Amino acid sequence: MSEKGEVDLTGAKQNTGVWLVKVPKYLSQQWAKATGRGEVGKLRICKKGNQGKPEVSFTLNEELTVIEGLEDKTVSAPRDHPFTMQAVGGQILAVFTENSSGESDGSSSGAGAGPDKLSLEGVVVQRAECRPAVSESYMRLKKLQIEESSKPARLSQQLSKPVTNNYKPVANHEYNREYERKKKEEGKRARAEKQQVLDMLFSAFEKHQYYNIKDLVDITKQPVTYLKEILRDIGIYNIKGTHKNTWELRPEYRHYQGEEKTDE
Amino acid sequence: MTSLGSSSSSTTEYTVRVPKNTSKKYNIMAFNAGDKVNCSAWTQARMERDMSARRIYGEEETPESGAGSEFGKKQREEARRKKFGIVTREFKAEDQPWILKVNGKAGKRFKGVKKGGVTENASYYIFTQCPDGAFEAFPVHGWYNFTPQAKHRTLTAEEAEEEWGRRNKVVNHFSIMLQRRLREQDRGDDEEDESGKSGKKKKKGGGRGGDLLIHDLEDDLEMSSDDSDSSVGEDGASKAKTKKAAGKSKTKKKQKGGEKDALEDSDDGDYEGLEVDYMSDESSPDEDQVNEKPTREEEHPKGIDEESESEEESEEEKKNEEEAKEEEEEEEGKKTPVQVEKKKKKDSSGESDSSDDSDIEGETASALFMKKRTPPKRAGGRGSAGSSRTGSRPGTPSIDSASTSNTLRAAASKLEQGKRQGAAADSPAAKRLKMEPSTQSPVPSGKSTPQPPSGKSTPSSSDVQLTEDAVRRYLIRKPMTTKDLLKKFQTKRTGLSSEQTVNVLAQILKRLNPERKNVNDKMHFYLTE
Repeated sequence: MSEKGEVDLTGAKQNTGVWLVKVPKYLSQQWAKATGRGEVGKLRICKKGNQGKPEVSFTLNEELTVIEGLEDKTVSAPRDHPFTMQAVGGQILAVFTENSSGESDGSSSGAGAGPDKLSLEGVVVQRAECRPAVSESYMRLKKLQIEESSKPARLSQQLSKPVTNNYKPVANHEYNREYERKKKEEGKRARAEKQQVLDMLFSAFEKHQYYNIKDLVDITKQPVTYLKEILRDIGIYNIKGTHKNTWELRPEYRHYQGEEKTDE
Repeated sequence: MTSLGSSSSSTTEYTVRVPKNTSKKYNIMAFNAGDKVNCSAWTQARMERDMSARRIYGEEETPESGAGSEFGKKQREEARRKKFGIVTREFKAEDQPWILKVNGKAGKRFKGVKKGGVTENASYYIFTQCPDGAFEAFPVHGWYNFTPQAKHRTLTAEEAEEEWGRRNKVVNHFSIMLQRRLREQDRGDDEEDESGKSGKKKKKGGGRGGDLLIHDLEDDLEMSSDDSDSSVGEDGASKAKTKKAAGKSKTKKKQKGGEKDALEDSDDGDYEGLEVDYMSDESSPDEDQVNEKPTREEEHPKGIDEESESEEESEEEKKNEEEAKEEEEEEEGKKTPVQVEKKKKKDSSGESDSSDDSDIEGETASALFMKKRTPPKRAGGRGSAGSSRTGSRPGTPSIDSASTSNTLRAAASKLEQGKRQGAAADSPAAKRLKMEPSTQSPVPSGKSTPQPPSGKSTPSSSDVQLTEDAVRRYLIRKPMTTKDLLKKFQTKRTGLSSEQTVNVLAQILKRLNPERKNVNDKMHFYLTE
């Protein structure tokens, strides 16, 4: 197993030559649908004897030409695709692969748990562009694509029923009334035993160091004044600093890791 | 197999396969053709993601729970960000650049930045030929443009701007990087030597990286002298001086004499004729000079022992300074330092009786001159320092190109090796060389008549005289910074120009040798008597 970061240079040493081919989107989609061993078509290279310029063309397999568009419109993709060869030119292109290890079946493509294996596969010797041979089917395909892409991403929809029903002024809104009812049910917060409150506070402060008074009221369900009295005993109120307006336990009551203080 | 019409053509058909279940992700590594990268020549390569951007995206300093955390902090932060519309982009490890190191530590380094938009409208496939003759096509996952990373030192933005300002004046481009390297070297040595002051120095060193001088004394004296100097030349030159003088900060830290550096700064050539005979035993007309001499000679033994290294450096810088200044003054030309130096020599020889001074002067100036002309030689000439130096010194007032080239090489080698060559023979020469031009510098900047550095012969109508006694009084009373001292001797009242004030004050301080104390990050001097 290679170390992390180590690049496997076998491909480079062998000077493996590869082709870099630009392929239209619909074709790559069709290729993704290939079954079995993944055969998608045939590549024909025709060398014109002494002249040297080879003609390359790709023929898509019959079964892959069917494209299902939206709304059950099926179009057939063209089969013939001549390749336009280009020089590699002002760049030196090498191909490297990243093997996400940790996945044996390879179907999942997330980042591997272990280190990725990097290897240099080869160098690009030829660039090509795959162009579809213009045909009736291609035109139809393009038309379909244009229609799909010309649809706006945002859509205005009319709502079937309006959001609110009351248009007239109302003495007290429904949700307000509910809120008040809920509050009445709960009633005022009752003062529990001091010890109980202290227990609640200590357990809360174990989880976090700084608390807002509102949050403490929520947690302990005590009236604010009572709570503040208790807090004044055991805690301090931060006015300045990063944790503004928060309560925290006094140093002697703290028991956080890294601090050596006694717990109460 | 189908064949086309013409008989000379041949057609072959290959099956194309797109493998379905590869865990390998194919990427393109693009190099610029000009870099002439040959992948097959690589013996070993390592590549890793450059995760340095994670810190920027991290912001996870506050602990989630336990000590130091706040209840509901995360929600509140999120709500706040939403309110202000701050959209933070996640840190995606996949989009980070690659760092490729070829052939180990000594080899090349490349940085590969991901190119966006590659897979948006069209897909790239890699066609490889399999042993069975079929082609296999793999989709390209990402495209990374790799560029080589420079290993040599480059100038920072501020330095680059400075150099740009001086581009028309600087002939010697090699010296730019050399000086920078020296500065860094000295900075490094400083930190080794004085651990006590290391913190402060580091800060200053760091500041110097941007050519900001943090040291007060340095600042005060240099800036004022620089201001006066700029009247002579252009901004670039004074900036150059600042920059070079920045290098001197280390010497100040090392030695007591910040004043020395101030003296070196103001080397306009004005005080030229007022050369003080501080190294010879011959009497000089002024009593002050006599008084000074013992103090200065006391310094010599100390100086030789302690400060041999710093001398060399400051000497070098001084030379640089002079060189730059001369460039600016005489609008360059290789002859000009010679002219200036000749002028200086004439004046000084008129004044002083010792041939030593003029020798040294000749040496310095010629060293300067040669340095400007033959920078590459410096690298070559090492180790020839000591003997040639002392050899050329006695009795040769004229500029002898052979001897000067020796001295130049000596000087240059000293520059480069710095501390490592602290030969005793060199140090007195160095020390004297430094002293000599340093006194020269205040000398030329003032009157043409001999004037003792104590400044007693300053114009009559002044309420406050810039005398040693005055300075002593102030320093005894309470510790003061140089800025304060300068304020005391205002130019209007003493009649001296600000430049002269600075020079004279520097000399006085050097003579007094006050103790230093750091108050509020400012260097204060004080005397206890």
